[in-house]
Amino acid sequence: MNRQEAEVVLQNRFQLSRFYDEQWTTIERLLQGERVLLIEKTGFGKSLCFQFPATLFSGITVVFSPLIALMRDQSKKLTSLGIPAKCINSEQTHEENSSIIAEAREGRIKILYIAPERQENPEWMEATRELNLSMVVVDEAHCISVWGHDFRPAFKRIINLVQLLPKGLPVLATTATATPRVQSDIEKQMGGNLSVIRGNLMRESFRLFVVNVESEDEKLIWLGKNLERLPGTGLLYTGTRMDTEIYSKWLEHLHISSIGYNAGLDIESRIAIENGLMNNKWKCIISTNALGMGIDKPDIRFIIHTQIPQSPIHYYQEIGRAGRDGEPAYIILFYHPDDKRLPEVFIEGGRPAISKYERVIRAVKSELLGEKDLMRKTNLRMTQFRVIKADLVEQKIIREVTFSKGKKFEYIAGSPKLNTALFEELRACKLRELEKMLGYIDTTESRMKYLCSYLGDDSKLSFNNCDNTGQKKIRVIVTPEWKERLKDFRENYFPEINAETKGTCIVSGIAASFYGFSNVGAAIHRSKYEGAGEFPDFLIRQTLKAYRKKFDDEQFDLLLYVPPTVSGDLVRNFADKIATVLRIPISHKLKKQRPTSEQKVFENHYLKHDNVADSFMYDSPDEIADKNILLIDDIFDSGATVKEIGRYLSHLGAAKIAPLVIARTVGGDIHE
Amino acid sequence: MNKEAAYWITLAHIPGWGYAKINTLIVRFSQEQNISIGEFFDLPETEWQRLYALEPKDIEELNAAKADLPNNAFLAEQLENEGYELIPVTSPEYSQTLKTNLKANHAPALLYVKGNKQILQEKSVAIVGSRNASEVSLEFTDHIAQKATKDFKVVVSGFAKGVDKQALDAAIKYTGQSIIVLPQGIMTFSTGFKTYYKQIVDGDVLVVSVFHPRAPWKAELAMARNPIIYALADEIYVAESSDTGGTWSGVIDGLRKKRKIYVRKPEPAEENANDLLIEKGAVAVDIQGNEILDESALLVKEQDAEFEKKILELLKSGEYTTKDILKRLDMNWSESRLRDFLKAQKGIETIIKKPLRYTGKQQTLFD
Repeated sequence: MNRQEAEVVLQNRFQLSRFYDEQWTTIERLLQGERVLLIEKTGFGKSLCFQFPATLFSGITVVFSPLIALMRDQSKKLTSLGIPAKCINSEQTHEENSSIIAEAREGRIKILYIAPERQENPEWMEATRELNLSMVVVDEAHCISVWGHDFRPAFKRIINLVQLLPKGLPVLATTATATPRVQSDIEKQMGGNLSVIRGNLMRESFRLFVVNVESEDEKLIWLGKNLERLPGTGLLYTGTRMDTEIYSKWLEHLHISSIGYNAGLDIESRIAIENGLMNNKWKCIISTNALGMGIDKPDIRFIIHTQIPQSPIHYYQEIGRAGRDGEPAYIILFYHPDDKRLPEVFIEGGRPAISKYERVIRAVKSELLGEKDLMRKTNLRMTQFRVIKADLVEQKIIREVTFSKGKKFEYIAGSPKLNTALFEELRACKLRELEKMLGYIDTTESRMKYLCSYLGDDSKLSFNNCDNTGQKKIRVIVTPEWKERLKDFRENYFPEINAETKGTCIVSGIAASFYGFSNVGAAIHRSKYEGAGEFPDFLIRQTLKAYRKKFDDEQFDLLLYVPPTVSGDLVRNFADKIATVLRIPISHKLKKQRPTSEQKVFENHYLKHDNVADSFMYDSPDEIADKNILLIDDIFDSGATVKEIGRYLSHLGAAKIAPLVIARTVGGDIHE
Repeated sequence: MNKEAAYWITLAHIPGWGYAKINTLIVRFSQEQNISIGEFFDLPETEWQRLYALEPKDIEELNAAKADLPNNAFLAEQLENEGYELIPVTSPEYSQTLKTNLKANHAPALLYVKGNKQILQEKSVAIVGSRNASEVSLEFTDHIAQKATKDFKVVVSGFAKGVDKQALDAAIKYTGQSIIVLPQGIMTFSTGFKTYYKQIVDGDVLVVSVFHPRAPWKAELAMARNPIIYALADEIYVAESSDTGGTWSGVIDGLRKKRKIYVRKPEPAEENANDLLIEKGAVAVDIQGNEILDESALLVKEQDAEFEKKILELLKSGEYTTKDILKRLDMNWSESRLRDFLKAQKGIETIIKKPLRYTGKQQTLFD
């Protein structure tokens, strides 16, 4: 088929009149059974490069993609064009996925989108025996490289699969963000005969700004004053989940239409927010970088970062989501010199201590264990455990094997020693990349050119779309009025406690503050661990304020507090004072029926849960029935203790249990 | 990772193709044409016909198999991910003992293994016998496994009840090394991999299967795996055999191939076919595995061993007919006995001339 003939088909099937040259080159090679790596910017039309040939092949094209939202969008679009396309993902029910797998086996699907993790699913693997496979696509191919910004261990298996595929079976790998180093890593891993097609990465519709600020307050104030003046709708990226919550509460306080999003939300809420984004339901969505990857919204008009990303490649990837329709998009980055601490901490602390790796290796060597038991045995945080696991699998020291009752880890006999030099090399590389990101702040040249050349695009285009090349610089002007508004917000802002669990009557509660926010955490620490005596009065005032904000309209019949682990009456006395002010009857009958350890000793949720399971009892259980209970504690971390008490009291017939705590931590290892 | 794994899986399991047919093809492409299996599959049909003398029906079947390559790539990836390895007959890791014993006609083209592959290169002892073996047979099995372990020999067994299981357990008990030859596909053995996790990690157990990785246990597969057990071993010990069934036919087959097979000499009251096997040429051993010999036989045995050494020495120096050998060494053997002995030796090549000549030879794929 020549280009002319192909474009006739293109018109009929996709209602598009012509290919770009790079698209056609890619398609031509795929039609000849070749392997291609395509590096093109977001919005270029990479998908067409496999969708078009897929419609010409007799069998099925399997697209491995990590982005569920993208899979959904694309399969919807293809279906509307009359091309049988489906996606299999973890957000669909088991039955939905099963029936799609069955359709694929029967040859009724042309393009199947699937997450790399699905290679671990027995039903899918069983189906692969019967597929009539015509082509394999690896979307977001940078995820296979540890040198990229988004390494995903599940891609390892896809690479192995690609290496095993017979010659002549076309394979396409695509990415919008690959530095030369990542590109060569992809080429090496995908094996011989891979040709690379690389386009220019310039996004002329961007308007790039860097805003140097003198404090966190300036960021909040600028946004409060200006967010609504920006055209259309957009995204506000923060560095941490705590900031996501604070920024969204701030905008809420100012009645600016917005919503917070984080990876810890349940699937329904996430889908609802993603749909709302598509329909411009809010001016702005506040999120960590978990949101937006692969969302095919053409008219995101602004992307603002309150925190500097780890590297130019992270930044390019994140802002890449804006302005796909070619209309102007505002790309704003706030920067305060202290901001670089967060990525530094992330890079320095990105890998657990070597002794922890050895702990895992020893445990796996001695026994065949699943993730849960291994975490119990090694007492590691889930986040750390996952990093260690990924590294040990990558270094071929352990492997994850699927048994009938879930996955287990095997030690690979005769495997090499842990290579820590690689970790050092990665760390050094990431620090260099962070330096490059800081260079973006300081550059006086074209910012677009700075990003493009970092990504290996040396095209000689002219760039005049930033505040160094013609756009007016943004400056923050702080007025007393705005200072006052921010102060007012700070004093009336209280973090929510989400401890609701199935089958219990725990309701959402409130904390007086975040542990690490303002001076609250320090005050608690002094009383708890430095012998400074009772919790100071300002904590009581602050906690009562939080109570009034959240529970002013509610009635409580009984006030209980979490009994101490070791000894001491800090929480008891604190609860006493609260009870007196609120005039709620307090009871001291909630006790521990067996000794437990302090929860902070345990690094993961499984051990925390084991520690407190069935450890509480109430002396006169009959008193609990039908009571609305206010439950007091000092710190809410993983929530295992509060949940366990809630479970127990629900069992005794309580009507409602509402947690009220002094401080909530952020970033515990599991967010239920 | 073997990047051609999908090709090997595909070739090894073409329906209706026996090992002889597959191995002939492998010898042609890998040794005569010197190309890889991937390159072989990539050849046009005309070349398959011209260079490999494949019939239209073969080509049709080969094409049908070729269409499964992508599916087998998925399978190969899964195998790799779960720690199974593939050893094709062309690999230096393939058991030389297996190849020598089975030759091109019967050697499986592909082994699926998990565990310490090095075990395939060690000296090995198979212990075989009934699923419902008597106490004394199990005791015998224990002794042989202990002795094998002491001599750093690997115990080969078939993972059936009775003698097989005893052999494996004993080898583990004495911290020796074992090969388990499965009567099923290797991916269907997850309970076993759980049970022997520690031994596999420690490098003491290797699990081998010659069947399609997903094939469930079947009586036919159990029968088909018996010759593999015999052929993986340098020595074969029979604890107990009836006059039918897998053990019996395996031993009879082995004796026909002139292999030395040791059979436990039964007590007078035992009801089994051990004595019958001894009559048919198996070597009688006592419960400790020691040969039961009278004195004169012992003398003959020593003399024979002396002759065997001299023959091998002689053949290193050139090509000889059987007559030459008997004359030069002044031996009292029959010519046919000498021929059989020469055929059974790994290092001896037969030169097709009239009369046949023998010499110490170079290694090729199949002896």
